[in-house]
Amino acid sequence: MSTKLSRRAFLGGAGLLSLSLAACGGNSGSESSDSGESSGSESTASGRVYWLNFKPEIDETLQSLAKTYSDSKGVSVKVFTAASGEYESTLTSEMDKPEPPTLFVIGNQAAVKSWGDFAIDLTGTKIAEEGSTDDFNLYDDQGRMVSQGYCYECFGIIANPDLVTKAGGDLDTIQGFDALKTLAEDIHSRASELGFDAFAPADMDDGNNWIYSGHLANIDYFYEAKADPDAWKECPPTITGDYLPNYKNLFDLVTNNAPVPPSELASGGHDPQTQFEDGKVAFMLQGSWTYDSVAAKIPEATMIPYYCGVDGEDKAGLNSGTENCWAVNSQVSEEDQNATIDFMVWLVTDPDASKELVAQLGSMPFINAQKGDNGFLNDAETLNAADCYTMDWDFNFQPNVNDYRAALVSALNTYDKDQNDANWEGVRTAFVQGWADQYQKANG
Amino acid sequence: MAKSLKANSIRTATRKWCWLFLGPVVIAFIIGFVWPFIQGIWLSLCQFRIVSNAEFVGFDNYGKVFSDPQFVYSFWYTALTAVVSLVIINVLAFTVAYLLTQKIKGANLYRTVFFMPNLIGGIVLGYIWSMIFDGFLSAFQTSILTDTVWGFWGLIIVMCWQQIGYMMIIYIAGLNAVPGDMIEAAKIDGATKMQTLFKVTIPNVMPSFTICMFLSLTNGFKLFDQNLALTGGAPISGSPSIAHTQMLALTIYNTFYGQASNARGTAQAMAVIFFILVAGMGLAQLAYTRKREVQQ
Amino acid sequence: MAEKAKGGLEAESKGLIVLSVILAIICIIWVLPMVAVVINSFKLNTFVKTETFALPTAESFAGWDNFIKGVTLGNYNFWLATWYSAFITIASSALILLFTSMAAWYIARVDSIFCKVVYFLCIFSMVVPFQMVMFTLSRTATQLHLDTPWTIPIIYLGFGAGLAIFMFVGFVKSIPLEIEEAAAIDGCSPVRTFFNVDVPMLRPTMISVGILEIMWVWNDYLLPYLVLDVEKYRTIPIFIQYLKGSYGTVDLGATMALILLAIIPVIVFYLCAQKYIIEGVAAGAVKG
Repeated sequence: MSTKLSRRAFLGGAGLLSLSLAACGGNSGSESSDSGESSGSESTASGRVYWLNFKPEIDETLQSLAKTYSDSKGVSVKVFTAASGEYESTLTSEMDKPEPPTLFVIGNQAAVKSWGDFAIDLTGTKIAEEGSTDDFNLYDDQGRMVSQGYCYECFGIIANPDLVTKAGGDLDTIQGFDALKTLAEDIHSRASELGFDAFAPADMDDGNNWIYSGHLANIDYFYEAKADPDAWKECPPTITGDYLPNYKNLFDLVTNNAPVPPSELASGGHDPQTQFEDGKVAFMLQGSWTYDSVAAKIPEATMIPYYCGVDGEDKAGLNSGTENCWAVNSQVSEEDQNATIDFMVWLVTDPDASKELVAQLGSMPFINAQKGDNGFLNDAETLNAADCYTMDWDFNFQPNVNDYRAALVSALNTYDKDQNDANWEGVRTAFVQGWADQYQKANG
Repeated sequence: MAKSLKANSIRTATRKWCWLFLGPVVIAFIIGFVWPFIQGIWLSLCQFRIVSNAEFVGFDNYGKVFSDPQFVYSFWYTALTAVVSLVIINVLAFTVAYLLTQKIKGANLYRTVFFMPNLIGGIVLGYIWSMIFDGFLSAFQTSILTDTVWGFWGLIIVMCWQQIGYMMIIYIAGLNAVPGDMIEAAKIDGATKMQTLFKVTIPNVMPSFTICMFLSLTNGFKLFDQNLALTGGAPISGSPSIAHTQMLALTIYNTFYGQASNARGTAQAMAVIFFILVAGMGLAQLAYTRKREVQQ
Repeated sequence: MAEKAKGGLEAESKGLIVLSVILAIICIIWVLPMVAVVINSFKLNTFVKTETFALPTAESFAGWDNFIKGVTLGNYNFWLATWYSAFITIASSALILLFTSMAAWYIARVDSIFCKVVYFLCIFSMVVPFQMVMFTLSRTATQLHLDTPWTIPIIYLGFGAGLAIFMFVGFVKSIPLEIEEAAAIDGCSPVRTFFNVDVPMLRPTMISVGILEIMWVWNDYLLPYLVLDVEKYRTIPIFIQYLKGSYGTVDLGATMALILLAIIPVIVFYLCAQKYIIEGVAAGAVKG
């Protein structure tokens, strides 16, 4: 019954989708969550698995794993990868077919809103019990766990410990902004003598400015959300900018203690990663996805948190997050759901399978999965183990993200040209007032 | 009589082939122009995110257009850019054309070189010049993306580089059509070169002036690729934010495809206003040329 | 008297020399941007920004590396983009030339009310800016599955028909009817009359129209960007624009190498067909 209803809803077009599903979704959801729990008991060779994959780069690995699994277990496993940027539309059309995906991706709160009703509650399932953290799981407003993160990425300040030592510092003593600032300014003032500088700042051109307009901006969003979690359950209509001074701390430190003057960042072309890999700078802001390239040149490179002068930041962890979260289709038969969950469990527990997958994904937050060799993700794990708080990705909430960021970048460019208070006010306007304006535009 | 009869019979024979001669163009024309145009007018009166649930709202969108600070800003900015580029392009293009018609050695080579930039598309052109401006302006610790003044003149320079050669060709055609004996007569009457130029040559190439002025004006108003590739509208500042070098076409595009997709009705209304503006210029040109033709 | 004339001539020739020098200088300024592209396409990335106007040195010289790197920049093969650009340009121009000349001939000869309506709409479409229809046109194209390089020429035929028909009608009207009548008396069908009698005479106009369409389609950015599925199909302008928006640091040296590759065919085409191009442009401008 619920399957039929949902099919019809699909035909109604994307706009009607969320509306009509709100009516029937609650039902189907709770119904199938029961079946999800019962799946924990035993595995069956019947049922089919169809994974609508989100990451084109892992398609090849998945296809071979799917073959291995069907050959050994006799379960039909199909993996189909949507073209990059086409996931939403592919999902919409695939879901409407007679044999819809049993496993798909719900990657953020917006997707929870539109697809949450198509996902079973994973709470208590075998796969949920394999998970090593709750940080990357997504819940809907009724508290159902609609999707579970299966890999993640992190970003922070990547440091070259050798250079820090050469400059007479010690990376282990840096557990806050003041120590970082002292060290960076010292390195910068002696740059010509040392032969290297403190920071390689990312450029402000379209290909790179997300470091400042997305990643670094997360400093403010995250601490605002930490202070007022209720307001940040979904995109808040306004933000306070209370932690903008902390954003400024790190921004100023990065841009002013670098081989290039800030005014030159606007037009781009500096390639900070190469500077870092060539040992010309001690620090850069980047993410775990650069590990392979960085470690090839600087094997001992390590990642430290965004220290920015917030109280208690000695307990800060890295900025970790993901948009890769598994959801199991609530509209398919119980058999299919069980087969799917068994497949997922196999992926994260079988030594060979999880090794292959981890090699592609960097790290998987599951107890029995093989450990990856991505040093930066391991840094994140180490910090987590030391009871540090993960800075999650609240920048995913940015309203009208392109327009919002474009205005912020432009204000930062003006500030870079002449770093005075009036120009910083321009940044504040773009950051705080811009959020409210764009929220209005998007929702009003 | 017999002749027109024959013509008529040919006409009748030809009519049978209407589907073949007109069919393909008419079908493509409906797909590529007529239907989108009608739909565009209709959608400018609707509020919509996706077309299937467009809701008729009358002229609301048009009201919103005029209270949109970015649109109003872009309108004046576009008008300024168009007028400034019109003057500079035409003065330079005419000067070059005039010099090239003075029996100069290698005139063909010069003509070839001046016209060349016109063949390069706006996107590539914008990319080339942003490299040049970056290299040049970094010496002054500034960038075309942060400096409104440079953003403006940068675009004018790019437009000049691209269009002067084009306008030059039209002026050369006009200048070559000026009867030689008129200039000879002026010379014999003792007129100086300058007098000949202003009293004889220029009045005779007035039609070329008209064409070039209208062309550069509409080109200026419709400019999109170069604007997108050179500055993309930057710098942006204030609340509500204004993109300081964003021209009308880019404003419409950004309103449409920016993420505030509930502003699509407004964007379509902007497009209709934009169309009326540009079409108005085009029709004025047509009317003007017709009038001249009749007078001559 | 003779003296005076001689002096005048001398002054004039002096004046011409000065003019030549001025023009030569402007000419050099004019080609500088292109020279800058050539120079920088052989430089290592980091030197493009710092030494934009200097010749490559031993330190900054990158050899052909930029060209090798450039063709796969932006996770897309440049030659594939070139192929799509070339196909779309040639197919669209051919389609436009064939069908609009036929339509124009019919309109000029038959002159019915329907023809008048079509002709009026064509002239009307010439003054409509693309932004007016960009959203609805790209939507229509997607709905009718015209969003591939193989079908986009139909869109170009539709949106670009105006100018071509306008130019052809003007010319066909100047062809005397008698020739066609003679052909008809010889038993030629209207179709054969058109292709055997009119098309040869239309050749100059066809070249003008063809050149205008080629220049337009080859350089067009927004229409293919909105109509095509850009993950799969990119033309050269789309490819270049994507370089700017892609993640990571753009290799400026490689970008310049690419731009050079993109410009070379245009320049070669221009130098080969210069006479026609300049005539075509002049004809298009005067009529449009």
